[in-house]
Amino acid sequence: MPPVKWLMHWHPSPGATVNSQILSEACGCAESLGGSKDGRWKTSIFFYRAMTRDGAGGPAGQQHPDLPRELLGVALHERPGLYFSIVRAQRLVLQADAAFPQVMEKLQSYRIRVALNFEGFQYQLGDFCLRIGKCVPNNSEALRGIMMEVEYYPLSSIEKSKAVMEDFFDIWQETVAKKSLPGQFIHVDSSFSDYGLSDQYSCQHTAVQYATCLQQLMAAVTVRG
Amino acid sequence: MECVVQGIIETQHVEALEVLLHGLSGVPKERVRVHELCLKSGPNLGVVPSEVRLLCDLAQPTPSWTIRHVGGAMRGAGAEQISVLVRTIVESKASKNVLHYFYTLGYKLDHELLKIGFAFRFHRGAQIIVTVTSTNKMPRLHATDEAVPVTPGIQLVEITAPAAADNYNDVVSAVSAFCEYLAPLLHLSKPGHSTGIVATAGAAAASLMSSGGGKTL
Repeated sequence: MPPVKWLMHWHPSPGATVNSQILSEACGCAESLGGSKDGRWKTSIFFYRAMTRDGAGGPAGQQHPDLPRELLGVALHERPGLYFSIVRAQRLVLQADAAFPQVMEKLQSYRIRVALNFEGFQYQLGDFCLRIGKCVPNNSEALRGIMMEVEYYPLSSIEKSKAVMEDFFDIWQETVAKKSLPGQFIHVDSSFSDYGLSDQYSCQHTAVQYATCLQQLMAAVTVRG
Repeated sequence: MECVVQGIIETQHVEALEVLLHGLSGVPKERVRVHELCLKSGPNLGVVPSEVRLLCDLAQPTPSWTIRHVGGAMRGAGAEQISVLVRTIVESKASKNVLHYFYTLGYKLDHELLKIGFAFRFHRGAQIIVTVTSTNKMPRLHATDEAVPVTPGIQLVEITAPAAADNYNDVVSAVSAFCEYLAPLLHLSKPGHSTGIVATAGAAAASLMSSGGGKTL
């Protein structure tokens, strides 16, 4: 059973922007708490758009009303053999294996329009693992956001781990606040039960958190590279 | 990719075929009970129409789902000359909400079938899977417990072998060679090129059943 994980994203103060200095400072916070850097990670998200015969994937206004406006594909760093697809409007998460994108490619009914990578360094910190990363379009260095994963190894129950995760989050907020950066990390709060997911944490929970995180990132961030 | 041949056999000779397959493969048979749902894209979806199959394996304690896309067959003069179909195939395991997922994406159920029978998986020059199944239709949507045979008295035999671009010739040879062993009981050919049941099947089956499979045909 995978350990429980929280996702957080950087929410800039009004008028402020996301930049790489914030990312460096966040990594510095992880190290100041005693975190030891032990590798890199990368999770990718793919935006699919429906191809229709009367508009063939054109602007959103031409989308057929019965087809989902947004279809996401998620490839998680920790499970390279799996692939997740999310229809957020329907609260639907499909778990498939790594061949699934090939199926979609063969069908040609939905095509990838945008690919985003969440990537950075990971830090071991006692029973926690922190992964702090930037959100960048594939094949680009243009910074779209900053987010992090906090994983707690001993527990897989979301409910039972809530107190310890909240405590860690408080410590993290205090540590980051000392840097006087223009913004703060916010916990990505996903309604797992809406997706039919249980209290036992799973990779599907992570995929849903990434989908929610992305939505919040897109809404909150004004970017300067 | 996969290499495929198919043939039909009368149900009365299936037991003899099972004896022969067990003798040739040396492995125990596996039960097959697969609910196959064929989905097609809705009228406006996709630049071209598309089709995808969802397979639910009901033989396992917990049903498992597979998404299967069958691609086009290899074409050209070379393909015409070989007696085995070579085609692209992509499969992915999926969670049990996969049908709902594809409905949400705009796919519609075209038809569904229940395939009941057995399979032998073994290696003989290549990894080979022989499935012998009756194809059943359902009187009501998804009513697998009420399925009835589409062609009572006739079952489908399918031999498939996974292949890659750099080895399909060897796999074709292995499949063709194996088909020869089954020739007295059934004729196997490319899907869509059926030659019907084999005249010697009755005698061959009787021979197999009387000797318990120890005698070669």
